[in-house]
Amino acid sequence: MPIPFPSDEWIKALKDQLNDSPSYAEIAKNWEGDFYFQIDWPSGAPPTLLYIDLWHGKCRDAFQVTEAATHKPAFRLSAPFDNFSRVIKGELDPLQAMVTGKIRVQGNMVMLMKNIPTVLEFVRVCQQVDSTFPLLP
Amino acid sequence: MNGYPGQLLVVDLTRGRIEVQALDPALLRASLGGSALAAELLYPHLTAALDPLEPDNPLLILGGPLTGTSGPSVGRFTVCAKSPATGLWGESNCGGFFGPELRFAGYDGLLITGRTPEPVYLWIHHDKVEVRPAAHLWGQADTYQTQNQIRAEVGEKLARVLCIGRAGEALLPYSLLLCDHGRVAGRTGLGAVMGSKNLKAVAVRGTRKIPLAREAEFSRLRSAANLELRNSTYSTTLREMGSAASAEFFDFMGEMPKRYFTSGVFEGAGRVSGAVMAETILTGVSTCHACVIACGRKVTLPGEAEGKGPEYETIVGFGPQLLVDDLAAITRLGRLCDAYGLDSISMSNVIGLAYLLCAEGKLTAAEAGGPLEWGDPGGAERLIHLTVRREGLGAVLAQGARALGRHCGAEDEAVQVNNLEVAYHDPRASSGMALVYATSPRGACHNQSDYFMVDLWKDTNYAGGELQDPRAGAEKAANVALHQDWRTVHNALVQCFFASVPLETTLDLVNAATGFDYSMDELHQVGERAWNLKRAINHRLGLTRANDTLPKALLTPYKEGGSEGLVPDFPAMLSAYYAARGWDEVTGCPTRTTLERLNLKFVADDLEKGLA
Repeated sequence: MPIPFPSDEWIKALKDQLNDSPSYAEIAKNWEGDFYFQIDWPSGAPPTLLYIDLWHGKCRDAFQVTEAATHKPAFRLSAPFDNFSRVIKGELDPLQAMVTGKIRVQGNMVMLMKNIPTVLEFVRVCQQVDSTFPLLP
Repeated sequence: MNGYPGQLLVVDLTRGRIEVQALDPALLRASLGGSALAAELLYPHLTAALDPLEPDNPLLILGGPLTGTSGPSVGRFTVCAKSPATGLWGESNCGGFFGPELRFAGYDGLLITGRTPEPVYLWIHHDKVEVRPAAHLWGQADTYQTQNQIRAEVGEKLARVLCIGRAGEALLPYSLLLCDHGRVAGRTGLGAVMGSKNLKAVAVRGTRKIPLAREAEFSRLRSAANLELRNSTYSTTLREMGSAASAEFFDFMGEMPKRYFTSGVFEGAGRVSGAVMAETILTGVSTCHACVIACGRKVTLPGEAEGKGPEYETIVGFGPQLLVDDLAAITRLGRLCDAYGLDSISMSNVIGLAYLLCAEGKLTAAEAGGPLEWGDPGGAERLIHLTVRREGLGAVLAQGARALGRHCGAEDEAVQVNNLEVAYHDPRASSGMALVYATSPRGACHNQSDYFMVDLWKDTNYAGGELQDPRAGAEKAANVALHQDWRTVHNALVQCFFASVPLETTLDLVNAATGFDYSMDELHQVGERAWNLKRAINHRLGLTRANDTLPKALLTPYKEGGSEGLVPDFPAMLSAYYAARGWDEVTGCPTRTTLERLNLKFVADDLEKGLA
């Protein structure tokens, strides 16, 4: 049954998918860094934050954030709901989204640029999560 | 005139004549500035009979309507002439501060003809132009020293100096012009044109304001554009890692060539990227006039003073192309090229071919003045010195890769188009670059269109249509042409390609600066017209369809790596490109219909007369 994006259920499903992926484990074996995904809503409602901790080819933790101040992740990816959705659906290239500012990246860009294959593999796994995209809230 | 000082400084070195020539407003509207205006101005003078190193070859240095403003990354200027490397249209643009300063001095550009009996430099300041002796600077080993010495001589610390090095003096067809903190007009050998005039340098100082049509509107627009540009992810990567920010990505995609274009993999590539530079030797950044990106690198090697760090092309040319993984050694080779005034793309290409020919047994160590072994940067350093002195094999290397290949009975192994060595964005990973290299008016060049940004980074700011597979063929031909047109507009402005600014913003900025109030279609036509005009110039200089080709190496698939097994379907792409351009399928020449649509009827008439 499709899981709504963004939600605590969705990010936990992604965690399982990542930990079940041998190719992600191999490609991301040198990756160290956690993320916030900040999903901005067209209604102007407070953004939804998803947290995910990625460490040497595995996902150590993932959940929807309710208390943003308690975390200081290495990266924050911010974008409108529609842009995130299009990347997960495979309609928007993730690199194009970053270069053209459709997804904003804050964090250690050196680390990110050294690990583009990891980024692409991560997105590929995201696309494998059986997702639905209801416009919330 | 809004957006322009409206005049050209014309210097005839043979006759010692210095004049100021007003620029035709209609011509400015048709071409904006930069290399597009240069094509209009030089069109009558560039003929097949003209020897690029003879005094009559005009050397034209031009800014654009935004040069010197605080618009987004518009501190650049262009240098144009008939190229001694290709014998065709020569063009190269450059950052730093020289271009803005020339406009502050009251000139859109500087047209230099003739030759002085002894070396000289020009000193342009406060409505004065002086021709000063430069024999004491001729032969100087370092272009930075030349700049400093001239600044001291003219007594103006803020003077900007554009100079050549020993390579330009020695008339090498891949010598460059350098200014400021190592910003270069590197390609097509225009340093040799300047050297052939016995002109060592141009120094300039000015304090005038650039007139703008709607100053308040321009100010608001450029502030917003710069803010957006500064905060973009792409700019952030360039600021943090320089032009080699994408090195790992290009390596992963198989777009970064290795072992002189013969290998798709090199484990050491990951040790010489912009990211590694940032983590190891980077100690600062540098910027061109009013640029918010700051892609320039300052690096400090152990026991040495801080100096310029290498850009992507220099890193690949002296790194993975030679299987060298020593960032310090690459930095030193890049600095040696700057000191001599050599284009590091061409120089590293020539050296890469020498290494390959040695590996294949077609060139001996004795002939090369010592061993050339993959992974050893020492051989490269030796060859650079030999080249500038034209000593031993250096006499051959000084003529470029094609000459070296011919010398060793392997001309087809030289990776060049129209005798311009290929930049390091491999069309086997980004098929659009196949057309870009083959049809660029100045030979194999990534600065007439950086289509790899579309193919790989999916930057669609300047290319329409749906995204296409980076390996797709003829179906992307029209998109490549469109991208070339827009990049020609940028080369007219003259705006840095790193400033990925939406076209709507560019249009608004141009209109606020000039008052031309172009539509988007009219602005596009500026690029298309200039592209076709340069093409027509090249036809007059002898170019035919046979020139639109790719070297054998780029049509040979890699056996491994990110672009393993792939080659662009080049013949089909070229035919589709001609159709998209409105060029004759047999001759490759723009048709009369195309030229007349672009208000270039006089060019169509001239071409017909020439063909007759």
